Amino acid sequence: MNLGISAKEFISQVREGSLSVEEFVAKTLDRINQVEGKVHAFITVDKNAIDKAKELDKKIKSKEKVGKCFGLPISVKDNICTAGIRTTCASKMLENFVPPYDATVISKLKSEDAIIIGKVNLDEFAMGSTTEHSYFGPSKNPWNPEYVPGGSSGGSGVSVSALECIVSLGSDTGGSVRSPASFCSVVGLKPTYGLVSRYGLVSYANSIEQIGPIARRVEDIAFILNIIAGKDEHDNTTLDNKNEDYLTGLDSGISGRRIGVISQMIAEGIDDDVFSATNNAIEKLQSLGAECIPVSLDAVEYSVAAYYTIAAAEASSNLARYDNLRYGFDFGLEGYEFNAYVSKVRSNFGQEVTRRMLLGAFVLSAGYYGKYYLKAQKARSMIKSQIDKAFKQVDLLISPTMPILPFKIGEKINDPLKLYLSDINTITANLSGIPAISVPFAFSKSGLPIGIQLLANSLEEKKLLQAAYALQSITRLPEISI
Amino acid sequence: MVERREIEHLGDLVRIELKDPEKFIKQVEEILNYFDKLDNVQFDSDQTLRKEISMENLRDDIHEPFDNYRKLIAELKKDQNNYTRAPKMI
Repeated sequence: MNLGISAKEFISQVREGSLSVEEFVAKTLDRINQVEGKVHAFITVDKNAIDKAKELDKKIKSKEKVGKCFGLPISVKDNICTAGIRTTCASKMLENFVPPYDATVISKLKSEDAIIIGKVNLDEFAMGSTTEHSYFGPSKNPWNPEYVPGGSSGGSGVSVSALECIVSLGSDTGGSVRSPASFCSVVGLKPTYGLVSRYGLVSYANSIEQIGPIARRVEDIAFILNIIAGKDEHDNTTLDNKNEDYLTGLDSGISGRRIGVISQMIAEGIDDDVFSATNNAIEKLQSLGAECIPVSLDAVEYSVAAYYTIAAAEASSNLARYDNLRYGFDFGLEGYEFNAYVSKVRSNFGQEVTRRMLLGAFVLSAGYYGKYYLKAQKARSMIKSQIDKAFKQVDLLISPTMPILPFKIGEKINDPLKLYLSDINTITANLSGIPAISVPFAFSKSGLPIGIQLLANSLEEKKLLQAAYALQSITRLPEISI
Repeated sequence: MVERREIEHLGDLVRIELKDPEKFIKQVEEILNYFDKLDNVQFDSDQTLRKEISMENLRDDIHEPFDNYRKLIAELKKDQNNYTRAPKMI
């Protein structure tokens, strides 16, 4: 049985009866058992998945109405609430937390008969870009387990890449879906801010984060987006996408499209292999009839400082709620005064989370607010206005997703600033709210994946996915050997 | 310069007992120095992004009971009489 099939192939095989959901889910669970020791994508595997698969097979056999997903096995980043399945955020602070409700994205997928196969690893509270900052230990890159898989949705990227599921949901605050997609050679989409409901996503930086799908094929991203996108009464920031169908016309091509090449993202400091892969992608898009022109976004220079200022500020506020009283780990109250207790238990946050909360408290504190936070908000507005201006000239923007190749686990863990700087290409989309996708495109001489990022104007996911599909159609990549 | 007492003060603000404040000093300082580049930006406007929602587009303020409240409080720390327990306030 081929576990590497697309969602589209899975659904058509199940629908015509040549594949049973139970068989596929059982094989997927076997696969997870077999490779987890090497890649560590999962925090929790849901053993009930097999019962749900059996139920669905019965429904299909008796010709009852079945949802669009037909039992499609998906993994879910462990900061998205799943009723009855623990949701840890890869933190000791939520080690035993079992949500009493489903996130909107989860209830939408369940109502279409998707099967949640398990919850996957992340940097604690989604803060990080390597998945090394997980309380449960790092995930590993399936293309070379000595290397990081990217992050923070590392478990999502790994589980899709290592054939432990067909599709995964991640969340993207500064590139957390696109970074692991690029490093693991899969596709990852950060939708327009407000296109997908954040209800049930554990908050980190509310004004910039979005839930996004990761899959091996662009068409599967479009399929999942059709299900999860749209207005939600539980999230006031959601937008009405008028039930746009992202699948129809996906193969329309990109002839005549104008693509802006972001000069600041193909400049000094990028890896040589990434540089030549990006130029190669641009040439290929031109050969399909796109017109590529250089575009300058000079505010990108301030994006990392602005992003980390805003994200840290929002994080320090959001994470104030974890006092270990309403939920948390077992730690006796005896002998503690209230504040002492809270400070004591909160010392169990990991280093990166602690660091960001300290930074957040600093940039918001009296005397520094104007110097950092307010300036960051102005820089954000400047980035947005440069993006708006660029989209008056072009339909899409292009850059490498990551300026560097995956690196060894542990290599940069003690240099947080260096890691922050590697987010330079992805955070522009978060600060300005526009959609962006990472498409696997090439491999380095050392055998590590390289992804290409495409960006479109707000709510132009359809145009974005068409371009990503065109790029995918002229790319041949090796199969995973793990 | 970030000093130890500043880091400890930030630790108090975010309510985290820092096991090893020294460890954070150099990193936080380095990151803040990098953030300083924001101070040198010449902005062409004082504009910041904000989304405005008109009053009539706000949802109605209706009380909707959450039907599964027992699960919401399931993990509260309790004593043998099923009273919720919290640390002493004073």
